[in-house]
Amino acid sequence: MLDFIMLALIVVCFVLAQAYAGLCNQLLAFAPEQNDKADSP
Amino acid sequence: MTAVGWLQIAIFAVIVGLLTHPLGGYLARVYAGERTFLSRLLTPVEAALYRIADVKPELEQSWYRYATAFLVFHLLGTAALYALLRVQSVLPFNPEQMPAVAPDLALNTAVSFVTNTSWQSYSGETTLSYASQMAGIAVQSFLSVASGIAVVIALIRGFARRRSATIGNFWVDLTRGTLYVLLPLCIVAALFLVTSGVPQTLAPPAEVTTLEGTTQVIARGPVATQEVIKLMSGDGGGFFNANSAHPFENPTPLTNLAEVVLIMVLGAALTNCFGRMIGSERQGWILLAVMAILFGLGVSGIYPLEAAGNPVLAALQVDQTPNSQQPGGNMEGKEVRFGIAGSALFANASTASSDGAVNSMHDSFLPLSGGILLANMMVDEVIVGAPGSGLFGMLLFCIVTVFLGGLMIGRTPEYVGKKIGAVEIKMAILALIWVPAATLGLTAVASVAPAGLAGLGNGGPHGYSEMLYAYTSATATNGSAFAGLNANTPFYNLTLAVAMFIGRFFVIVSVLAVAGALATQPIIPRSAGTLPTDGALFVGFLLGVIVIVGGLTYLPALALGPIVEHLQLSGGVLY
Repeated sequence: MLDFIMLALIVVCFVLAQAYAGLCNQLLAFAPEQNDKADSP
Repeated sequence: MTAVGWLQIAIFAVIVGLLTHPLGGYLARVYAGERTFLSRLLTPVEAALYRIADVKPELEQSWYRYATAFLVFHLLGTAALYALLRVQSVLPFNPEQMPAVAPDLALNTAVSFVTNTSWQSYSGETTLSYASQMAGIAVQSFLSVASGIAVVIALIRGFARRRSATIGNFWVDLTRGTLYVLLPLCIVAALFLVTSGVPQTLAPPAEVTTLEGTTQVIARGPVATQEVIKLMSGDGGGFFNANSAHPFENPTPLTNLAEVVLIMVLGAALTNCFGRMIGSERQGWILLAVMAILFGLGVSGIYPLEAAGNPVLAALQVDQTPNSQQPGGNMEGKEVRFGIAGSALFANASTASSDGAVNSMHDSFLPLSGGILLANMMVDEVIVGAPGSGLFGMLLFCIVTVFLGGLMIGRTPEYVGKKIGAVEIKMAILALIWVPAATLGLTAVASVAPAGLAGLGNGGPHGYSEMLYAYTSATATNGSAFAGLNANTPFYNLTLAVAMFIGRFFVIVSVLAVAGALATQPIIPRSAGTLPTDGALFVGFLLGVIVIVGGLTYLPALALGPIVEHLQLSGGVLY
């Protein structure tokens, strides 16, 4: 039983990391627009 | 302090400096997919591995797919190592009939080695079978460092490429790093260690009769092969509980010097690889110069402090001067064959580099020395660091530095031809914030939780330092232990596993996002408004940012531990 809990914990942690990657990907989707606006004087 | 001691440190610095350039060139060729002197031998093996795994090496990945491949690979690695540790009792190569590892300890150990941390809440010689050591621990040591190097190579490609949607192929980078870099270097270094007296055998522990007539069991095993990857990977997990203080892991002063070089050499060479890949070796030397200055500051602090000895013993008029009869200084927890210099150099290299191997007990260092070891880890392991993670940490600091420089002079920040926009700086800050958030947050929890306090070996500020060191070491993926703390409890096994996971995977996802954002940009030419990043000014600026960011983040925590302990030690109060 404990083994299943531990393996589930491992999977949950990696799912969270993948979800974080997804969030970063969403943020990066706006990157070109933001960088175009920020230009050197 | 002795001249011979400083000479040892100087020889180490010269060897690493001399190896940086040729090894950096080799790394650049390997990751560019060019031919090397090993290609004739290894190209067929590489091609066969791709065929077996159905990898198409010519297909590159976006940063998101690269990160997904990285996470999936390590998810499988964590589960496999956990399962191996749980069933080791029924597997072969278990001459001592080791039982299965407890679930919480197996989880901690699996996460520890997959994340390149190698925090060990167990004694290797009394917990793990040879199968677990060879097929579990050593394999993950190879793969975790190969994937760490792959991540920094992806980040470097982000800097080097123009308007590219891809940053490489994770499977190719992982395979080439393992085949062309780690395996050949490890074979050569393992043979050196074997000739120096490090055992490499599958025979069971030796039973000998001592001079007193009693029987003693002497643990041994396939030590040399694991020792080398332990050092080169930035992993640090020893075959024996005493790690590199054990005479079978590190038998002589010569092996000690070689081991410190092995800890640092790949990380140092990657700075040169970075310079070559972006077309300016000077940029790589600048980063190495910053690392060298920070390293020099650390060892220049620890060696004199330890050589001066314990002030409490000095007040009792105990002779702590070096002479022909004694090494002098604070020798508690240190091996006589290494002395103060060999121990100080190793400890500084191990904590600066993220390796975490130890040849002396850091718990026995004087409080300020312990504080320096902590500070080495608290600056995000950028002082060379583990191969891969050290350099990407340093590059994140470069991004923050040019951003601050841009704010000062009113220009859009640039680094090696890439504009550092809002997204890049957000991602860099996210990557840098995970480590202190996890370290300080979990230390705070452990400081008040009964289960956390139950593991302490000492009270007062020293006990606090033990907890702070544990979470700093875990989150920074260092893995060295301060000793004194009983971490093999469900509370510490689980919370330290969380710390290691955050410190590795959440940071790396952020780094790959930075790589993806940078790769899509064009390379802009240097202009009058560009902050020069290849001169002494930038070295000073970068040093200042690293020290100030680290200082502002961690100084209160250090004040509660090693600093207050040092002040009380001066008054004769011990913990």
